[in-house]
Amino acid sequence: MQNSITREVIIKAAKEKVYDAIANPLKVVRWFPDEIEGTYAVGERPLSVFKEHNAKVSTYIVDAKPFEYFAYRWIPGGNEFTGDVMTVPNTLVEFTIQEIEDGTCKVVVTESGFAQLPAEMAEVSFKQNSGGWDYMLGRFEKYFKQA
Amino acid sequence: MEAQIFKALGDPLRLKIVQRLSLKETYTIGNLTQGLGISRQGARKQIQVLESAKIVRLSPSGREVNVTLQVNSLQVGKDFISKLENQWDARLQKLKDIAENTT
Repeated sequence: MQNSITREVIIKAAKEKVYDAIANPLKVVRWFPDEIEGTYAVGERPLSVFKEHNAKVSTYIVDAKPFEYFAYRWIPGGNEFTGDVMTVPNTLVEFTIQEIEDGTCKVVVTESGFAQLPAEMAEVSFKQNSGGWDYMLGRFEKYFKQA
Repeated sequence: MEAQIFKALGDPLRLKIVQRLSLKETYTIGNLTQGLGISRQGARKQIQVLESAKIVRLSPSGREVNVTLQVNSLQVGKDFISKLENQWDARLQKLKDIAENTT
């Protein structure tokens, strides 16, 4: 499995405001986890709550450099894990904010460490997601019934 | 590879075998092909087609051979990554909306 993902977005707002939306626990819940339980600060391990997956995920805040960088480790894929994230295979999520012109920022998110995750995690996700084999077999069954 | 998978499944007998495999974790070749009206040799041949398309995995167990459905790890990995990429795109779009539209 490839080891990392990089995505980016251009935001028409000052870097202070963008950083605040990522690093401020009262703001981040407006676009990312539904809730944060615990202290959202460097060295802490709050729980990120995802109601959609009915899951809480231990999140270790690695670093925060105001207005340009914020990073944490967590477990991707919407699986519940409330133990210590640092004791299990995890991924590193890094946000970098770059002001490309006055009042416009480029935000790059990089998530890395997929290569060390257990294969079952991807398999479970595959089955939930596309239905995997069930889906494929269902289609073939239909095909043969028609033929 | 995909063409090979489709070809391997494009046969009612092999499809039946794969459907059986999706019900239970592991079969021996004998159990798997029971009642399909094919000889032991014929069964082996069909299963070899599935194996070369990487649809099943064979592992010897004593005098028997166990057959298990193989989830294509490459496809699974790709699917996982693209799902996470889509999630990040959606989150970043939300971040953008919030940062641009709130004071």
